[in-house]
Amino acid sequence: MAGSFFRSFNRNKVLLLMVLPGALWFLCFSYLPLVGTVAAFKEYRFSRQGFWYSLIHSKNVGWDNFKFLFNTDAAYTITRNTLLYNIAFIFLGLVFSVALAILLSELVNKKLAKLYQTSMFLPYFLSWVIVGYFAFSFLSMDRGLLNHILGYFGVDSMQWYSDPTYWPYILIFVYLWKSIGYSSVVYLASILGIDKSLYEAAMIDGASKLQQVRNITLPLLKPIIIIMTLLAVGKIFYADFGLFYQVPRDSGTLYSVTNVIDTYVYRGLKTTGEIGMSTAAGLYQSIVGFVLVMISNYVVRKLDKDSALF
Amino acid sequence: MSKIKKRAGLLLAATTAFSLVLSACGSNGNNEPEAAGSGSGSGNAGKPVELIWYTIGTPQKDVDTVMAEVSKYTKEKINATIKMKMIDWGDYSQKMQVLVASGEPMDILFTSAGGFDYVQNVRKGAFLELDELLDKYGQGIKNTIDPGFLSGSKVDGHNYGIPANKELPQLEVWRFNQNLVDKYKLDTSGVRTLESLEPLLKTIKEKEPEVTPFAMDKTYVPYVPYDYLVTNMPMAVKLDGSDMKVVNILETSEMKAALETMHKYYKAGYVAPEAATTGSTSDLTTSGKWLLDRAQTQPLAENLWSASYGYPVTTKPASDAIITNTSVQGSIMAISANSEHPEKAMEFLNLLNTDPVLRNMVDSGTEGTHYEKIDDKHMKNLDASQNYNMPSYSLGNNMLLYLNEGDPDDKWDQFKKFNAEGKPSPILGFNFDSTKVATEMTAVQNVKEQFWASLMTGTVDPATFLPKAIDEFKKAGLDKVIAEAQSQLDAWAAANK
Repeated sequence: MAGSFFRSFNRNKVLLLMVLPGALWFLCFSYLPLVGTVAAFKEYRFSRQGFWYSLIHSKNVGWDNFKFLFNTDAAYTITRNTLLYNIAFIFLGLVFSVALAILLSELVNKKLAKLYQTSMFLPYFLSWVIVGYFAFSFLSMDRGLLNHILGYFGVDSMQWYSDPTYWPYILIFVYLWKSIGYSSVVYLASILGIDKSLYEAAMIDGASKLQQVRNITLPLLKPIIIIMTLLAVGKIFYADFGLFYQVPRDSGTLYSVTNVIDTYVYRGLKTTGEIGMSTAAGLYQSIVGFVLVMISNYVVRKLDKDSALF
Repeated sequence: MSKIKKRAGLLLAATTAFSLVLSACGSNGNNEPEAAGSGSGSGNAGKPVELIWYTIGTPQKDVDTVMAEVSKYTKEKINATIKMKMIDWGDYSQKMQVLVASGEPMDILFTSAGGFDYVQNVRKGAFLELDELLDKYGQGIKNTIDPGFLSGSKVDGHNYGIPANKELPQLEVWRFNQNLVDKYKLDTSGVRTLESLEPLLKTIKEKEPEVTPFAMDKTYVPYVPYDYLVTNMPMAVKLDGSDMKVVNILETSEMKAALETMHKYYKAGYVAPEAATTGSTSDLTTSGKWLLDRAQTQPLAENLWSASYGYPVTTKPASDAIITNTSVQGSIMAISANSEHPEKAMEFLNLLNTDPVLRNMVDSGTEGTHYEKIDDKHMKNLDASQNYNMPSYSLGNNMLLYLNEGDPDDKWDQFKKFNAEGKPSPILGFNFDSTKVATEMTAVQNVKEQFWASLMTGTVDPATFLPKAIDEFKKAGLDKVIAEAQSQLDAWAAANK
């Protein structure tokens, strides 16, 4: 037993060495902090003996810290918003980035393809604060571009930041604009990795471009699509804070469609600073995410064993 | 290959699912208090102690060099050196929250009703209780600082911080851009209430369409004669002290009338259309394209404002001068609960609040480099002061400061007079403990964020949104919060008769 362990260790030591930095990173920043989870069940109070002492000696309060997440009507709104937006993001993000990747891979002029790819990629590196101001330059009531355009057509100025009607579309649009350039790279890379001889054979058989995409590209992309989607499902309870806080400019009248778990927790706790409650929220999101990953992986495994993550 | 991919995927999935807000950074465990061994404040023998001081403000380039000068002085006086760490305005509360929670070493820290909330953090145990230290090493503080500050900053009967000696009452004023007032010969003499502004706003709206008549950002709240239990939360008590009842401010007739007026102003275009999401009005004050706004004042504030905007600003009172918890707790220096040298820290605070040499060095930097003296009372900033531009209010006793060029000689006497004339709020000294209703407070906070700015700036019609907001507050548990506050207030009132 021990012998075989050392043998396999010896054989794989280069690979293991490559894993080491990543493993250490996860150990330090993902596994060690798990101890802090107890804070979710504590009324955290400072003491002069430092963090760990305070953590251990703070009063136990059971599930009290979780109550604020479920106590009000807001609980329904924020859960619904978080889930629906994320489902839209996962689904639309997938469709658009795969489509974009296929389009880019089909471009004959490789120089132009690089140019398109880079320009789609750029928004990914902008901070949400800046994206928020971009949006503001379109949507501002008195100086916004959109209201000026509406004015040309004789339509009255809209109060974009106090009318929730259009915000689901605005948020989804802004999210896709910012993210698909980046996510399409993953798919583009795997498309470029597909054996060219498959396409050549298809062309000889007289398959059209569309048939090639449907019968070669998409099936071969399936494993990576499933992995990316499963990972995204794991984060379905985490909303992109910057998107939901910065882009609507924290406007109260829009909360019915912009308030998500992360912004709710932030708004509730930025003044009180109760560490126990924020930890409780984080723990709740993690556990729901974990359960969802397990379930969706189970479903995938039932349907197609080879595509499942584990 | 596929096996490795799967393992990596598993690890990734498991960790993303589990990653938590908390990080394991920070020091742990063994900060044993060694205060008793560190000379107990007496004499200057032994190794000098280094005091770590966290304060608010944009980090300045020359902080370390100035602190080296300061340290030379304090080493001689109390055998301690000073290490100052500045955290920028917008980050202060959040960063301090994390630094204090993780046990980062520190001795002295800035706290206030607005930034890194004083009362809440006292309740969480962030600060050392100072009663004894104050008696032992803080006699100078007790003699110089207005007693209203020390009594007003007590929490549950104990002092946890040293307030800066400055203006004590809170006085709201209307500020006017005097250029426009002169140009259109506006009459500001009858101004006091919100309603009294209307003719002025109307004139400017008609004659200067490019100007925002009523400047405000999203934190604007119409003035009503109530004192809030917690800053920016709807629980309040009437200032005339007639009933000592905690009410929801939105249900008072005064606030209702004010909101209707605000909505009228908003519809008339006196308020910027995006006021409810505007973070700052500095673009208006810089360009001079505003007529009036509301602000808190202190003696001679008009001079400060006029100087910083480059055109004359005048004021008219909008309220009485009231001493409230917020005004008393506007700037406090506390000693951290994990301080290793609490005695030395107290000695330093005592020196800072009584010694003009030290206080001015901390405020203005090195003489000859950052500022120069004009006469024995007045000073002038030099160009290098750009590298050491500190907020005076957060660094201790203001009344020791040298006067700026052009300040009248009796500036601090005017402050003393202003302070003496302030009327105490009926709930001055009462600090609401929200621990028991923390869940409700979080929900109430969220409702407040949802409705507050759009109601207060007049963006939405109170006829439909006010009942909605009141209803949402009720659902969030505001009644329970108010009941808890009322019972605490009754107990406090009975004990303080």
